Amino acid sequence: MNDEREIEQSLYAYGERIRFKQRLKKVQARLDMDAMRQEADTYRFQSQTTGQIRALWQTYRTTLAVAATAAIITTFGSIFLYRSYQQSHQQEQQYSLLSKEIQAVKSSQRKLINDINGRGRGLSINPAQVSGSGFLLTPDGYFVTNNHIVREADSVYVQSVKGEVYKARVVFTDSQHDLAFLQLCDDSAFRTLPPVPYGFEARPSELGERVYTLGYPREEIVYGEGYLSSGTGYRGDSTAYQVAIGVNPGNSGGPLLDEKGNVIGIISGKQTTSEGVSFAVKTNYLIEALNTIPADSLKGQPLRLNRKNTMTNLSRKQQIKRMQDYVYQVKVFKHKD
Amino acid sequence: MKENRLPVWTDDELLTGLADGSDDALMQLYRQYFPMVLHFVTNNSGSEDDAKDIYQEALIVLFEKVRGGSLELHCQLKTYLYSVCRRLWLKQLSQRSRYMVRDVETPASDDLVIEQIGDDLLEHEERDRQFTLMADSLERLGEPCRTLLEDFYIQHLSMQEITEKFGYTNADNAKTQKYKCLMRLKRLFFSEYKQ
Repeated sequence: MNDEREIEQSLYAYGERIRFKQRLKKVQARLDMDAMRQEADTYRFQSQTTGQIRALWQTYRTTLAVAATAAIITTFGSIFLYRSYQQSHQQEQQYSLLSKEIQAVKSSQRKLINDINGRGRGLSINPAQVSGSGFLLTPDGYFVTNNHIVREADSVYVQSVKGEVYKARVVFTDSQHDLAFLQLCDDSAFRTLPPVPYGFEARPSELGERVYTLGYPREEIVYGEGYLSSGTGYRGDSTAYQVAIGVNPGNSGGPLLDEKGNVIGIISGKQTTSEGVSFAVKTNYLIEALNTIPADSLKGQPLRLNRKNTMTNLSRKQQIKRMQDYVYQVKVFKHKD
Repeated sequence: MKENRLPVWTDDELLTGLADGSDDALMQLYRQYFPMVLHFVTNNSGSEDDAKDIYQEALIVLFEKVRGGSLELHCQLKTYLYSVCRRLWLKQLSQRSRYMVRDVETPASDDLVIEQIGDDLLEHEERDRQFTLMADSLERLGEPCRTLLEDFYIQHLSMQEITEKFGYTNADNAKTQKYKCLMRLKRLFFSEYKQ
């Protein structure tokens, strides 16, 4: 019974449409098409003005398209060229390496006269051209700083917080990551220190991590603190961190440490266009660079990084006290042009 | 009522008239809105006949919704008809690889209305399919079944009239015949439709 209803309904619907179509046909036949056309024309009149514009558009659109394309290409082309020119020139301006031209602080160098070895006197007579910071990787004298500090150096000296000066040999440089490895034990005056107190953290640190640094923007060691503000460095450089920390020329090469006293990076530069935007090479790349040092450069003295951090539970003040003996000022002498 | 000026029906009057099967209402629907569609279609590379076909189809959509009591009008009837015609014409144009029309009227822009019209047209397509299938099934059914069913369901002849027309001995006999035809039609129709 149900089936019957279903097909009947379909038939009725079918019939209804047929009859409606027939009615429509009849109505259409009775239509006064002339009147309809006339009325349709009134629509045309309404859009007459736009119609004229449309006609013009239709006639000239290819010409217009060519002209517009040429204009667009010229405009954006020149903007692009200008921008790329500007950027290539800004790049160097915006990223400032934090090595310090010593000339400006000549006078303060007189303090070094107290130096027992008398080498400090030499320095004050013939001051270095460039200075920066650096820190020990191992207690037996392997040392890291920025490549841009020691680049084209004739001789490199490091000076401890107490004012002791040692001559350093450049073991290896990694210009890509702006790292330079030095060795202090060439100098017989250098005594092996107790194990370095800080550890090295190769895993990426979290944003917002409280960080601090020690360095030599002036003759005295200077402490600075801030936080990790981005996982990438200048222009998205993934080998560096962006750090919100106040650093100055001379801070370059200093260690960047987290709360627990792990070295998470090496201060390398800052952005000149904005305040408090500094960059640090990630420890990860420090270790990578270490592994690429050829064995003969090490002269048989293996470079083993301290993995054990002995400062984890110390307060910040205590941490600084412990590690400041391991952070040195780097002084570089170059040919005078 | 002004002289020389045909009265303009309201949407309600038009729809009620359409539901009641009034030819006046149909005439009025043509008078009031066909020029708009005529202008639209002829302005978008269609002929006068295309315009008639499109408008006819739109009226079928409207009629079947009204008859089924399922018309939900969330905009003016004029906008509804224009939007439906526009969609139908766009569909035809797309078969000629054209996908743009120049509007002569503002089509429905309200999301609800657009969705509504989309649904209505989907429904219409489904009914279209049924319609074609039914025509096809009736064709294949052959005589005398086809005429018998058409007379009863479409022309609405009475059983008595059919008995006489086909020369059956009595109305019961005609009824049995009709039932047999209907069952055959059902098989033909649903074997295709249910797929």
